[in-house]
Amino acid sequence: LSSGVEFSSAVHSAVCRKYVFICCVSGIPTDEEQATGLEKIIMETMKEGKDPYNMLKPKSYSGTKEDPNIVPSITNRRIVAVSVSEEDNTAIVWFWIHEGEAQRCPSCGSYYKLVHYDLPH
Amino acid sequence: MAHQAHPYHMVDPSPWPLTGAVAALLMTSGLAIWFHFHSTILMLLGTVLLVLTICQWWRDVVREGTFQGHHTPPAQKGLRYGMILFITSEVLFFAGFFWAFYHSSLAPTPELGGFWPPAGITPLDPFEVPLLNTAVLLASGVTVTWAHHSIMEGDRKQAIHSLTLTILLGGYFTFLQALEYYEAPFTIADGVYGATFFVATGFHGLHVIIGSTFLAVCLHRQIRHHFTSTHHFGFEAAAWYWHFVDVVWLFLYISIYWWGS
Repeated sequence: LSSGVEFSSAVHSAVCRKYVFICCVSGIPTDEEQATGLEKIIMETMKEGKDPYNMLKPKSYSGTKEDPNIVPSITNRRIVAVSVSEEDNTAIVWFWIHEGEAQRCPSCGSYYKLVHYDLPH
Repeated sequence: MAHQAHPYHMVDPSPWPLTGAVAALLMTSGLAIWFHFHSTILMLLGTVLLVLTICQWWRDVVREGTFQGHHTPPAQKGLRYGMILFITSEVLFFAGFFWAFYHSSLAPTPELGGFWPPAGITPLDPFEVPLLNTAVLLASGVTVTWAHHSIMEGDRKQAIHSLTLTILLGGYFTFLQALEYYEAPFTIADGVYGATFFVATGFHGLHVIIGSTFLAVCLHRQIRHHFTSTHHFGFEAAAWYWHFVDVVWLFLYISIYWWGS
């Protein structure tokens, strides 16, 4: 049994020498070290507080002309769907928002402004 | 560069769903051909195609997740839902066999002698090998939890050891159960007792083999550094499945082996 322990620790240190990017001593990588592709991009941008892939609920603003709802977009327009336009709404109000001045919801009149952003790559 | 603006995984075109469907067709029609015309070739062809489909499809899932990074948090959430729904469907699958057992054993018919176990059946002693099997599976539930905590804590050596131990315990269960099947004084043809016993425990044994295989794949992936301390859903899915297999055994043991004797 003791030779087995020595063997496994020898293998372990050999592995650690070979794969120098495993910085944690006990041998299992972290997402920090090993995440790749979209998972990695999302992990890193979320650390900066950004949400380019719309994983979280959209932020809500007061919707006035001075404080419009910000609608991020990777092109120059985006569809907005408002579910609580007025108190007793039973349907969702859908409309396009285009770049330029803030536009208003056709049902409740809240302001929505398109803000362009680029996907991280 | 036209990239997706969402965090979900739109999979690339793949032939494996089609080959899987063809395999299912060949296996089922092959079963019918075997029953009527004594030829097993179609069924064997279907089985081979199924195994190839399984290996290549799930190999692609590992490539997409571990090597290409497509398994973002929302994608992983979808995989979790999927595994939970699948295990739920398996619970219902076993529920049918437990229904069959209780239907026949709660009100034994005159043909059986009006009692359970039926006339002529000597049931296995629940306090011999079946009790050992219970201990083996419960212990394997402990070792798989040990493996999970080792992974989360970043301890590679313990993760590999405990996962290996889990698989060995699963293999020991299968070995013991195979011996029990060989030595049993009754067969599947021995009335409703034999039928319910061997169909329920037989499907359970198949699930133990499937679960052990899943864990073995996880062991291979763990050795190859696929899992990180925070992202190892393949292992979690295998562990969930293994716990399900353990719970089914507990129900089998209590109902069929113990109460049913």
